[in-house]
Amino acid sequence: MASAEIVLRCEEIAVAYGDVQALQPTSLAFEAGRIHALVGQNGAGKTSLARVLAGIIQPAGGRYWIREEEIRESSVQQARKLGLDIVHQRFTLPPNFTVAEALELVSARKYAGAFYSYGALRSAWLRELRRADIKVSPSAKIRDLPIETNQSLEILRALAGQAQILILDEPTALLSPGGVERLFARLRQLRDAGVTLLLILHKLREVMAIADTIAVLRAGRLVLPPTEIAAVSEQRLSDLIIGEGASVEGPAGATETRESDKTRTVNLSLAGVNTRHSETEPALAAVSLALESAEILGIAGVEGNGQRSLVDVLTGLMSARSGRVELLGQDVTDLKHHQRRTIGLRAVPFDRVTEGLSLPLALWENVTIWNAENFRRSRFGPLKIGAMREAARLALEAFDVQYESLDQPAGSLSGGNMQRLILARELAQGARVVIAAQPTRGLDFRATQYVWGVLRQLRQAGASIMLVSSDLDELFSLSDRIGVMRGGQIMAEYAPPFDMQVIGDSMIGAAR
Amino acid sequence: MSRWLAIGLRVASPIALAFILGFTLFAGAGYDIVEVVNGLWQGAIAAPGSLEQSIRWAIPLAVISFGIIITLRTGEFNIGAQGQILLGGLGAASVALLLPGWPPVLVIPLALLAGIILGALWSAIAGVLKVFFNADEVINTLMLNFIAALLIQWVTTGPLKDDATRGETASTPRVDRMFRLSDGTGVSIELILIVVVAALLAWIIIERSPFGLKSRLVGSSPRVAAWQGLQIKRIHITTYLLAGAFAGLAGALEVLGPSARLVTGATPTLGFTAIVVAIVGMLRIPGALAAALFFGGLQAAILFLPIVSRLPSSGLRIIEGLVALLITAQFLWQRRRRNQGQKL
Repeated sequence: MASAEIVLRCEEIAVAYGDVQALQPTSLAFEAGRIHALVGQNGAGKTSLARVLAGIIQPAGGRYWIREEEIRESSVQQARKLGLDIVHQRFTLPPNFTVAEALELVSARKYAGAFYSYGALRSAWLRELRRADIKVSPSAKIRDLPIETNQSLEILRALAGQAQILILDEPTALLSPGGVERLFARLRQLRDAGVTLLLILHKLREVMAIADTIAVLRAGRLVLPPTEIAAVSEQRLSDLIIGEGASVEGPAGATETRESDKTRTVNLSLAGVNTRHSETEPALAAVSLALESAEILGIAGVEGNGQRSLVDVLTGLMSARSGRVELLGQDVTDLKHHQRRTIGLRAVPFDRVTEGLSLPLALWENVTIWNAENFRRSRFGPLKIGAMREAARLALEAFDVQYESLDQPAGSLSGGNMQRLILARELAQGARVVIAAQPTRGLDFRATQYVWGVLRQLRQAGASIMLVSSDLDELFSLSDRIGVMRGGQIMAEYAPPFDMQVIGDSMIGAAR
Repeated sequence: MSRWLAIGLRVASPIALAFILGFTLFAGAGYDIVEVVNGLWQGAIAAPGSLEQSIRWAIPLAVISFGIIITLRTGEFNIGAQGQILLGGLGAASVALLLPGWPPVLVIPLALLAGIILGALWSAIAGVLKVFFNADEVINTLMLNFIAALLIQWVTTGPLKDDATRGETASTPRVDRMFRLSDGTGVSIELILIVVVAALLAWIIIERSPFGLKSRLVGSSPRVAAWQGLQIKRIHITTYLLAGAFAGLAGALEVLGPSARLVTGATPTLGFTAIVVAIVGMLRIPGALAAALFFGGLQAAILFLPIVSRLPSSGLRIIEGLVALLITAQFLWQRRRRNQGQKL
């Protein structure tokens, strides 16, 4: 194999977004005519590397070559000219166009001049569709197509531009199991026709099924250079991806709360809940779970496996297609978010900046607006602004938010203080069931410890907490139980002591 | 205090720039600038009756702008005030003309109420289209303006036609003197009292009601609003109803006040100038009142100018248009910058 031609080569390629180093200087090379898998957890740097190669972003340092040609000024056009193309995780075809129009628009290959007839365009692309064995009418609208067909078109789009190197960023993320099979069959055909493929994948099972070589990134570092798949065991790969770690004990104090088992009740439950798939996630498929009082249920999983849909269904931001949601003994399946709030549900959203806080609004407004009705002088009377500010002040003080004035915009707070404000607002009163989604993402050590402390206290006080997190350390140190989500389902549930390897394997679907 | 200075500068600079650009244009075209400035001064303030004229135009501008402030705070760019004014005028004129001889204490409130309701319903059409069919509100409200204008044309040439005049512009008959809130000058204690009450009401809605606070959250961060359990659709519909109500009230005041009747093609720019008033007023009621006086003065000067200057009144309309353009550009630019900040 040493004699094989190298089509992609990186030397010390690094990627930074602002102060965040997404990819440490990395050197690696890929051989022609094979299927290469690039694997790693969220934030490992896979997509960053792929985007550099495709000319979408500039590296912060290093050199790279596409088919022996060094790229100095990277651009998408340049990469395409050299025969490299990328199929994104989110599709880029315009939804209101017909298949033929969309392909003509985005493909490097053009069948039409400045003026053209629709019929000519249609028949030209029909030929291409037939050759690629994609069963779709060139006059169909993009938005009416199933995801699988849409993806096939993206691949066709790239190949019609004579791509010799094709990067696919998480191509299986939104596909059904049957769809994955068909995709893999097509990719093998392409490889046998001489195309080099670089697949960014999450699931080890899929890697084992399709790839010739595998490379692993973890936290922005290459921990395994491209290696023959046969030469490395699945167990070793799992360790490389997740990071080696011993089992972690259950949370401190767990035994105390467990003693009062008789008084425990189910506060939140899902029974056979199905949803539609969203733009970024597969549909929830027959999800059932129960959350008891004085309990933290951790939800682990590689991002995009249905966690957001799960939270949306629980909070009422998305409605279930079928199944039943119960909150504190009430059927809330058809209730909206504000109605669930009055029953006792609170939520810490995934993203504090776009979902948690309104950055231009003042601190006191951010804390009090949601229940402004409770601050009226009479049923239709004006608001008692003084009382609202006082309530906000007390809440902010209780959660130790550092601020100068209640009138300062929320956008002027640090990340840790923003999260404290969100906790202050959500937990100030009446919180009995709390959904905490990525509550410590991006926070420093002290702020993280603070949030953890708050969640533990809340459990001690008898509340039910669902903790959705992609940080396994966080899940291990807080959870009483951990459920693992994969492909829109709860695949397994674990009790302490938690085993990093077992849960890691379950997240990426690896078998030992 | 430096904050207020900054705000003052931010408001004043596009206005100053508009005047500089306008005057440069006039000077280049050979007009006497001193004469124009004198005309402005005379027309807005100094000449006898000018100040009254300024207030006469400030009244509808202020009342309409209250509603526009509410929509802009909710993040909606409603440019349908023009049509809502006409519907408000239609409501008031209909009541006043169909109940002749009834006691004014009954007819006047009824006429105002009819104007408010018709304006609100007209605006709600755009709101429903936006909320339930996701149809762009700028297009909706603009198109509804045309429909409203044609509706008024039909009413004034058909059902409520004034047979007495064979005049150039179609209009309804005059409203009975008993039902009027002012004479032709358009300034009276009654009108000013109504504006004060409307301003207080608008201030309470914006600054002291759950709806006012929530609409700001919806306008600034709709996703946060959803996570906070705000009923976004309901807030949007309420926003449109209120905007139409204020514009409808302004239309009713025109008919019961200076105009005395509903005229086809009357006051074709009030609804648009009121948007500029709302933005210059920093989306706050006291600011809008001040801005309404400024643009009321400009409107009065526009009508007065031909008396003392060779510059046609359309010259000052250019300045008014420039102010609107620059202020709107500044407003949208700031909003975009803020939204970008939100994304980071």
